[in-house]
Amino acid sequence: MFRNYVKIAFRSLMKNKLFSSINVFGLALGMSCSLLIGLWVKDELSYDRFLPDAESIHYVRVNFPYNGETVTNTVTPGPLQEAIAKDVPEVAAVTKINFGNEVLMKVGEITAKEKGHYASADFFGVFDLPAVYGNPKTALAQPNQIVITRKVAEKFFPNGLAVGKTLQLDNNKFYVVGAVLENLPTNSSLQFDWLVNWKVYEEGWMKTWGNNSFQTFVRLKPRTTLAQTEVAMADIYPRFAGKNFETGRPVLQPITDLHLHSDYKNGKSVGGRIEYVRIFSIVALFMLLIACINFMNLATAQSAMRAKEVGVRKVVGALRSSLIGQFLSESMITSGLAVVLALGLVWYVLPTFNATFEKQLTLDLTEPTLWLAIGGLVLLTGFLSGSYPALFLSSLQPIKILKGSGPALRLQTSSVRSFLSPALFRRALVVFQFSLSIFLIVGMLAIGRQMNYMRTKNLGLDRENVVYIPLEGEIAQPKKVEAFRQEVMRQPAIASATTAMSLPVNVQSTSGDLNWPGKDPNLQTNVSCMFVGGDFTKTMNIKLVDGRDFRTDSPADSTNYLINEAAAKLMGMKDPVGKDVQFWPGKGKVIGLMKDFHLNSLHQTITPLILCFDSRNTSYLLVKTRAGQAPTAIADLEKLAKQFNPNYPFTYHFLDEEFESLYRSEQQVNTLVNYFGFLAILISCLGLFALAAFTAEQRTKEIGVRKVLGASVTNIVGLLSKDFLKLVMIALILSTPLAWWSLSKWLETFAYRENLSWWIFGVAGVLAVAIAFLTVSYQSIKAAMMNPVKSLRSE
Amino acid sequence: MIQTINLQKLFSTEEVETTALNGINMDVKDGEFVAIMGPSGCGKSTLLNILGLLDNPSEGEYNFYGTEVAKMTERQRAQLRKGSIGFVFQSFNLIDELTVYENVELPLLYLKTPPDERKKRVEEALERMSIMHRRNHFPQQLSGGQQQRTAIARAVVAKPKLILADEPTGNLDSKNGEEVMKLLGELNDEGTTIIMVTHSPYDAGFAHRIVNLFDGKVVTENFHV
Repeated sequence: MFRNYVKIAFRSLMKNKLFSSINVFGLALGMSCSLLIGLWVKDELSYDRFLPDAESIHYVRVNFPYNGETVTNTVTPGPLQEAIAKDVPEVAAVTKINFGNEVLMKVGEITAKEKGHYASADFFGVFDLPAVYGNPKTALAQPNQIVITRKVAEKFFPNGLAVGKTLQLDNNKFYVVGAVLENLPTNSSLQFDWLVNWKVYEEGWMKTWGNNSFQTFVRLKPRTTLAQTEVAMADIYPRFAGKNFETGRPVLQPITDLHLHSDYKNGKSVGGRIEYVRIFSIVALFMLLIACINFMNLATAQSAMRAKEVGVRKVVGALRSSLIGQFLSESMITSGLAVVLALGLVWYVLPTFNATFEKQLTLDLTEPTLWLAIGGLVLLTGFLSGSYPALFLSSLQPIKILKGSGPALRLQTSSVRSFLSPALFRRALVVFQFSLSIFLIVGMLAIGRQMNYMRTKNLGLDRENVVYIPLEGEIAQPKKVEAFRQEVMRQPAIASATTAMSLPVNVQSTSGDLNWPGKDPNLQTNVSCMFVGGDFTKTMNIKLVDGRDFRTDSPADSTNYLINEAAAKLMGMKDPVGKDVQFWPGKGKVIGLMKDFHLNSLHQTITPLILCFDSRNTSYLLVKTRAGQAPTAIADLEKLAKQFNPNYPFTYHFLDEEFESLYRSEQQVNTLVNYFGFLAILISCLGLFALAAFTAEQRTKEIGVRKVLGASVTNIVGLLSKDFLKLVMIALILSTPLAWWSLSKWLETFAYRENLSWWIFGVAGVLAVAIAFLTVSYQSIKAAMMNPVKSLRSE
Repeated sequence: MIQTINLQKLFSTEEVETTALNGINMDVKDGEFVAIMGPSGCGKSTLLNILGLLDNPSEGEYNFYGTEVAKMTERQRAQLRKGSIGFVFQSFNLIDELTVYENVELPLLYLKTPPDERKKRVEEALERMSIMHRRNHFPQQLSGGQQQRTAIARAVVAKPKLILADEPTGNLDSKNGEEVMKLLGELNDEGTTIIMVTHSPYDAGFAHRIVNLFDGKVVTENFHV
């Protein structure tokens, strides 16, 4: 019997080539979108699950009450790790690492920059990472040893064993390779190629509780819960951190949540990247649904053609259940064909997808889970798209179908159609399909608009024509930084230069250490802070409302400060210039008041900022090039860098690239919504095209009669297109509130945003109607141009 | 043996109610060949549909080989119909996507006949209808007569007790029509009960008895000797 179904299915597919190819191609497009997103979602959900005993590893954050709310610090102070190790018996191991350094590695003639961390000795007590050679635990305990990954080992020691050999870091210290680790997979939150003992890196300020700059991880003992450990940690700050910080409460987050649930609000995890995983999953389902709707629409539209077969089968003994089985098998077969095409499409676009989304996803056909997913997709698609046609077709009654032939059959089946009203169902499906498409078009427009807003918004500082280079090697030496900067500023293509501890478009360091005369002892502050060199405001073109910039010739400036308007407001100072303040470097005066500028992504409001003057404690040289002279300026910079810092390869970046990278997730969503919005419209239009072809065919006689009676081509086109356009209009009305609501929610994640305007919906509506009209009009015009004599004779 | 008592069939729409059958009492004995005649709209096909278990009467009784079927559900009727009734239509009603062989095989597939037996019976039926040489052709590739012979092969392949034919020669020329009627006559001679709806007095001449309907009622019954 099944063979009979398969035979019929293939012959039906071949008989209606247009409809069949639209069905298979549409389903394949929908399926390939779902497969791609499925691969992406699987990768996102797999982050850090490769770690041995991943469930017991946790990331430590610290909650602080702050003006009635709770602020969660993602980074922790150095002494926290020792305190946890000493005081929390629930913890089996605890480690801290710095944020990561790129160092210049050198072995003989081979040099390259590699990223790694300084980590406290118990790192491998928390992360039991597999070693290729050596014992990483003992290696990291030695201050003169380094642990590297297989990738680095193969690069620097291509001819043999790395363990026991010597590596030079930053043209300075030598380290013996103590162990080689397996490379970290891409779905690891931690990404490094070397680890060196923390003690080598540690400085005095890292031992204070007021400086939050490090990441702390713990491994819990077996049968210990997160809640239990948090309770045990609650008294660490009151006991160890001192009066200023006694309100801090460490909180734990399972490492498997770190990648997707990193946003905290009022002390609790409120999501993060998981939102995008959800959005993309919904989009995947939407794409599949849109494609399935085409199948349902075309299958029910073609029911007249299949009606006779149903009648005959019933008359010769088919039960309804066996007919349902038959039609479901057919949709499964179509779905099976589509999945083959979809796999081809995925294979073809995967490299582009990986490049866009910075992934290394693969279509590994040897992986059983992939086949399970494909099987599931075929069944789901087959069932989604085949169930209604199967139920409808199997319900047709033979006596209404089998009487007579030719026109009589058509008449009978059309009465069956109106009786069971699949036409209404079909219209509802078209509305649903176009609602989703319009939703995606609105998404495309609104997200694109917000992205454009972010790209063009005046941040209060210049990010164009600003180049930065890392200060490393010789030019990181305190004595040489300033000399190098001065030399750079002498170049004619360079307008100005400054140094900074972090990039001014992404200031991460915060401190609660700011004090001033008259400060309310109960007021807790959390200000952003940064060390900068001379000419900072000039180079970044930040407006000084009052006072002056730091001056290299003014020794007193080492304990003077620049603040922004938000900081002045926090301190309640109307004219802050000249007022006393105390911060880490010591007691000093505010010498300049800067107009507020955006120091983080536009997701965040502008926070109070204090700048300290220290050209030695900096990481970057920021260079403002003269307009149109960036290539010359970079060439000059390279020449000077080679002269001052001959042992380091010259690298440079543009500040606006760093700025753009703050919105990588949004850009990815933007790209995805653009692609999928386009595909959704394409698949919907394929369906509409076929449906219009079918309707035109059904109404051939009517069109002929109307033409004979005097209808013009325009009349006929209007007649045939009107019904479809009505459906698109209904879709617009239905999707508008949903799109409005969900996009408003998304925009709320930005502190600075371009609000939704009605015109976006107008444009989306006009676009959808225009595209639908173009799709339908081809068939309508074709039908309307037909010679009425022919169409009437064909009846 | 088939018996109907006071069979009624009403068709209702929102505005009108039409009586298609109005108190039909009819007995058909095993092995009988009955022709039903009458003007268009007199209820011939409605009666045939009810006799063929494709539809239920609105009122009355219908005894089909000892089983009262008038109140049966669609599913029960389908089970009973399977294998016991063969249908022949004016418009042949072959499935366009299946070959001659596959069309004839269809009833046996639904009866779950084993493959060897199925093959044997399909080939027998095709031989019998002299259509074996066309077994791999599709319906559109056949003449009207060949299509109807295929349809008759399909109707007899499951060896039903009863064959219902609805104007079986209506779409055929006289030569092919004659052939089809002869085939039906032969089947009847071998013991198959046949009930045929026809407009053609010539075709009706093949039957043992002619039942004339008018406005949903039996008006006359003529017996051939």
